[in-house]
Formats: sequence, C-alpha cells, structure tokens
Amino acid sequence: MSLPPRVPSVVLAVGFAVVAGAVLVAASGGDPLAAYWQIAVGALAPDNLPNTLNWAVPLTGMALAVAIPLRGGMVNLGGDGQLVLGGLVAALVPLYLPLPGVLSMFAAILAAALVAGLYAALAAWGEVRHGVPMLISSLLLSYPAMGLASYLSGFPLRDRSSGLPQTVMIPPDARLPPLGDVLNVGAFAILVIAIAVVVFDRRSVVGYELRLRGLNPRFARYGGIALGRQAVATMFASGGIAGLTGATIVLGAQFRFTDGALVTPNYTWSGLMAALLAGGEPVGTIGAALFFAALQTGGFAMQRETAVPRVLTMVLQALVILFLAARHGLRRRAAP
Amino acid sequence: MAPALQASGIVKRYGPLLANDGIDLDVARGEVHAVMGENGAGKSTLMSILYGMQAPDGGTIRLDGVAVRFRSPAEAIAHGLGMVHQAFKLFSSLTVWENIVYGREPRRGPFIDGAAARRAAVALAERYGLAVDPGALVARLSVGVRQRVEILKALYREARVLILDEPTAVLTPPERDVLFAVLRRLVVDGRSVIFVTHKLDEVLAISDRVTVLRAGRVAARMTTRETSAREIVRAMTGRVVADRPDRVSMPQGAALLHAEAITVRGDGRVLVADANLSVNGGEVVGIAGVAGNGQTELVEALVGLRAVASGRVQVNGRDVTQSDVAARREAGLAYIPEDRAAVGTAPTASAADNLAMGFHRRPPLRRGWKLDGTAVRDWARRLIARFDIRIGSERTPVATLSGGNMQKVVLARELSHAAPVLIAEQPTRGLDVGAAEFVHGELLAERARGRAVLLVSAELSEVMALSDRVLVMFGGRIIADLPAAQADEERLGLLMAGRPGVAA
Repeated sequence: MSLPPRVPSVVLAVGFAVVAGAVLVAASGGDPLAAYWQIAVGALAPDNLPNTLNWAVPLTGMALAVAIPLRGGMVNLGGDGQLVLGGLVAALVPLYLPLPGVLSMFAAILAAALVAGLYAALAAWGEVRHGVPMLISSLLLSYPAMGLASYLSGFPLRDRSSGLPQTVMIPPDARLPPLGDVLNVGAFAILVIAIAVVVFDRRSVVGYELRLRGLNPRFARYGGIALGRQAVATMFASGGIAGLTGATIVLGAQFRFTDGALVTPNYTWSGLMAALLAGGEPVGTIGAALFFAALQTGGFAMQRETAVPRVLTMVLQALVILFLAARHGLRRRAAP
Repeated sequence: MAPALQASGIVKRYGPLLANDGIDLDVARGEVHAVMGENGAGKSTLMSILYGMQAPDGGTIRLDGVAVRFRSPAEAIAHGLGMVHQAFKLFSSLTVWENIVYGREPRRGPFIDGAAARRAAVALAERYGLAVDPGALVARLSVGVRQRVEILKALYREARVLILDEPTAVLTPPERDVLFAVLRRLVVDGRSVIFVTHKLDEVLAISDRVTVLRAGRVAARMTTRETSAREIVRAMTGRVVADRPDRVSMPQGAALLHAEAITVRGDGRVLVADANLSVNGGEVVGIAGVAGNGQTELVEALVGLRAVASGRVQVNGRDVTQSDVAARREAGLAYIPEDRAAVGTAPTASAADNLAMGFHRRPPLRRGWKLDGTAVRDWARRLIARFDIRIGSERTPVATLSGGNMQKVVLARELSHAAPVLIAEQPTRGLDVGAAEFVHGELLAERARGRAVLLVSAELSEVMALSDRVLVMFGGRIIADLPAAQADEERLGLLMAGRPGVAA
C-alpha cells in the first residue's frame, strides 16, 4: 500500500498551472499560445539553451542548499545571506590574499564555502544550544550578512573608479575559465555537487540518518543519532553549497562583488520552491530547479517578444506549488 | 420494544481490506454491552461508523427502531449518541464546567450563563455519582477525573447510548471501580453503554452481554452470566490460549542495570524523585503504576533521552550517566519504547530502514562511508522471517502493519542487539491476545538467556505474570519493591493509588 508514484501529481499540477496561466493571459488580452511558445523557444532553442543552463546552475545550487536540510525535516531560509557571504569572500580572497592565480581561485572557493557553511551552522547551533527556532534564525541571520556585504562593498572596499557599491575586479587568472560563450567551469562544480548529494542521499550512512530524521526525528534520536550534531553538520553542508554557489557567480560571471547582484535574481527563493516541490528528494529537486530555470529564462524571451510580462512565469511557478500542495492535502483527507 | 441501537449488516471496505463484513450489533436499553476483539477485528471501524465519523459501505443503523444515517459526529450527538475516546478531547486550559457545556452553552442574551452552566454540571455530576469540582481547571485533573468530565460532557448532550473506547486503560483499580459504579447508575437510568475493551475480567465484571468480533465479522454473541473467560478468548482468537506464560526459576547473575538516586526535573516540577533500582541478569523487574507517575521519565533518563538532575546510571558495569543514547546502546542497552509509532519506528519508512536503525553504523550493513543496500535488505528479510512479521516485503512502509506486527518490527530490531539489558515499556499496549502472548514469550526468553529485563507496564496482570520483583511508582517515587510472591492485585492496586500505609 505504498503511496502512488509522485510524477503524475507533479505533471497534473503543472498542467493545471499552465491552464490557469493561459486563462490569465487571455483575460488580460494576450495570446496564451504565443506566450507559451515564446517561453518554450526562449528556454530551449539551441541558441538559448546555454542561457537557460547558465541560469540553472546557481538555481540548482541554491535548491540543493535547501533540499539537504529539508531531507532531515529542517528548513534553511538563510540562503540569501549565505549566498552573499560566499560571493563576498570569493571576491575578497583573490583581491587581498596574494596567491598565485589558480591557487587563489581554489582558495577563494574553499573560503567562500567555509565561511557560508559556518554562518549557516550558527543558526543550527542556536537552535540546539539555545532553542532559537532555526526557521526564524536562519532567515534573520541573512540580514546582518547582507548588511555587512553592503557596507564593505559600499565603503571601505569600494572600487573608487566606479559609481556603484562594488569591489574592484578580481585578477583574470583567479577567474573560473569559461565554457563556451555563456557558461563557465562553475557549472561543473555544481554538477559534481549535485551528483555527490544524490549519491550521499541514496547510498551513505549519513544520508540514511538524515532521511530517517526527516521521517521521524524522535525515532532517529531513540536509535542513537545525535540530532544536535547532525543539525549543525547538515546546515554546514547546506550553507557551504550556498556559499560555493555565490563563489561560482562571482568568480565565473561577475568577476567582482556587486551589492545586490546575487540577491536580485531570486535564486534562493526559486531554489526553495524547487526543493519544496520535491520534498527535499535530491533528484526531484534538481529536476524542479531545471524546470524553473527554463521557465524563468523563457519568461525573459516572452517579455521581449510579446506583450505579456515576465511575471507570468513567476505566477506559473507559484501555481504549480499551490496545486501540488492542494492535491496532497486532498489525498491526506481522503485517506482512512 | 426496539433495541436502543441496532446496527445490521454493517460493511466497510478499505481498498482490498474488508474491515467490517456484515456486522450485526444489538444494544438493549439499560444494558452494558461489551464489544471485544483482537486488533484489526474491526472494533474501531464499527465504533467510528456508529458515531458518524465514517460512512458505512453497506448496512443500516436504527436508534429506537428508527433508521438513521449520520454524516458527522455532530449528527450522531444530536440523535443521542455519546462517545468517550481513548485520547480525551478536552480543553485543558478551561474549567470543568466550560468543557462540559462547550458547544451548547446556556445563554443569557449574547453571553454564556455561567451560573446556569455550573448548576447543570453539578446536578448531572450528583445524579450519576461522578465526583468532580466544576470550577477546577482540566489541566490540573488526574486522568481518571478527566474521563469523568468526558462522560459528563456526553450526558450533558443527553446521550442515551454512550460508547466507551478502552476506558480503563488509564485507570487505577480503584478508579476503575468508581467508573463501573457510574456505569451501573447510567444503565439503571435507562441509558445504554457500549464498552469496547481488551480486558476479559472487566467484561465479566461489568457487561450484561458481549459481542465478539474477529476479522471483521461477529464471532460470537454471548450473555455474560452464561459464559466464561476461556470461551470469550476462544471466540476472539479462534484457539485456546494459555492463561499465564510458563516461567522457570533462573539463577540470577550480577546487576546489569543499576540506577542510583535518579532525580528528573521538567516544567518546574520534580518528575522522578530519588529513584533507585537494580536489575540482575536472569531477572525481570516490573514497574507498576498508573500512567503519568514518572515511569516514562525514569525510563527516558535510563536510556539517555532525558537529562537527569542528579543520580547515576550503570549499564553492564559501565557508568553511562554522561553518555548519549548511542553510547548507552553501545554499553549494552536495548529499548522497546512505549509508543511504537511515534518513537519505536518511522512509520512512513520501509521495514528495511526501520530494522537497520542501530545496526547501520557497523559491518555488515556499513561499508566505509556507504550503507550496503543489499546487506540492509538481507538483514531485514532475515528478521522478518525469524520473527514471522506479516508484511508484503522489506520495502513496505511499517505504517501499513497492524499493531502486533509493528511491535514485532521493534522487537525484532531491539532483541537482535542481544544486549545485556532490555527495557520494555508497555510492550503489549494495544496488542491482541495472540500478539501479547508472543511478546511475553520473547521477554521471558531474554530472561532465560541471562539478560536483565526491566518491564514497565500499566497492566497489573502483565507485571504480575512476568516479574520476579515488582516496583511500584507513585508521584515520581518508587514507593515499593516487592518480591513477586507478595505482589498481589489488591496490594499493588493500593500502592498504585499511593496508599502504602494501607497496603503494608
């Protein structure tokens, strides 16, 4: 009597959302078919595919950062802060720590993951030792992190030659090598992380313990799993991935830390939605992240080509989640 | 005269499972009618249908000869049904009278008429001998008194047929006697009581007639005066069950579990006060007591799930006072927790995942950083076969299992540790006669292997049947330590009610 497989309900939710979105477009005087066609072309046409992938890389990173703790029943809402800290550290290491090129790049990535990981672990530690709910503290800790980054890039470490709050450019030999016109080696880093997360989830002792905690934390504790230590370690991994994601953007695409540039695309919240959609299951999370990346990239194309604003894709994203939640809610009520 | 309640041909299906397969039940006016049956026999389903919580797939219900069809408990209540659930449904931050009148408050204009409500509560309580203080806060009341509030709530809604689901599970023997006295007054008054229970002696003591269910059908209908415990058990299980497990005398070994001066605090109260206990190899020590007198907290302190304010715990000669759960298990402790669905298993996880817990950090299940999937499945299959767990496959979630089979999952895993010390907390709660017998056999087998068994149970019969020594807990203290020969029901009953002076 296992639950029916997940895929059909996801497909159904997407279907409902597409129909509801079409009604919305039609009601506002647009052509739904044209809008959807532009989304599809904008996302998947051979010329546009690299753009979609480039958008998918950080989105997947942030989705995994949420999915890991979610697998254990914990929620990390502090992705923005961890992403920004990672980006900031990744920009500062090559600028202020004189190391030879490639070494500097690796040092920057490692330091970014470490700092962001420790910052996320702080939220877990606060819950374990002082009972501050992590749901709240992880979110609140984001603001001082973003504030600090904003101050540093706006005042003491600002590039004087630029009118924007941003650091100077990092030296070319510390940057992530490009892959084609749009992508960079950071995509490989996220791919490796994604594979590692899936393997750990399915095969490792650590993954088993985290999954069982997610299914019943009291059982996990009774079985001898030290929940406190597990929470801190899990959040460290989660924050580390968020930090690494920030580092790949800074070292691979922007080449400097610019205040707000990491947060504006909303990778964190799209990633959160992708992880929620899959209930923290890694393969599903990655799939959802790719889907959302395609939807959002397609949204830009649609906005360019038709009169329909890009916000439609965000509406679609939200509708998918809502329909899915409603379906699961209904099923729960119908059960004996 | 038509029966007060008559259900005929009730059918309820859950997928392929036929939970109720044409059940007939007649309850006369002015009788206590016991409904018995093993777990999964269909008692709960039948009660939830009678009370309007579920719609039957077939069959009819008549009240006083009139066919009714309830779409909700509210409709059932309006027709004169009342139900006291096992888990009480009271607002603990409100007073007794507020709980009693909730949903049907006497009004004066837009306001609740508190004085009238109190008067109504007091009048009802006096009429049926249900001693409660109407102004008391429910949170402060003992479980037995809360149950009286539940009954008053149903009576206030003019229940003519009252369903009690396992009402004595939480009561001391004296509280049980009070409840029975109340039930007798209710039936004299022309009301009817449906009494759902597992306990034979209670059925014999209080009921007028018995309907026994087995596998969704009525296995027997009996008049209590004309039947016997043995006949009822045979109807429930379809076979003859031994009254008491055989217990051979055992030479006792060293103290394998030893606790000194354990004190546990929580919520600003002392939950366990200065408890000392010692369990030797080859010995079963039972802890008797009404639920909520510190047994759970004491056990949690022993296994490392709860911090002690002071005291020392030794397992197998090692001081584990400062150790976490994993280290205590390593030292030689296995634990069957009170609540198998909330603590003892992850119900939505597969049997393989549930059976691996605690074995997953060492070979053969662990290989380096990896958990060997094949080894996990083989391990699960072996335990499923050895303990005869009735389950589709090791991939099936344990939530789908009956109580007895779920308990076998817990038992299989914990006994496989072959730990010197086994703590078993309410190991047969909610299990049917056959499954309970199996658990008792396993506990005694542990004793025969020279292990130390600490048994915590609210069932006096269980404690008396299995234990070499009996401790009684009351108000967080261990107030008695008796050899089995001196632990009879009357004495334990008085001790459980906190009256050692009378018991001595």
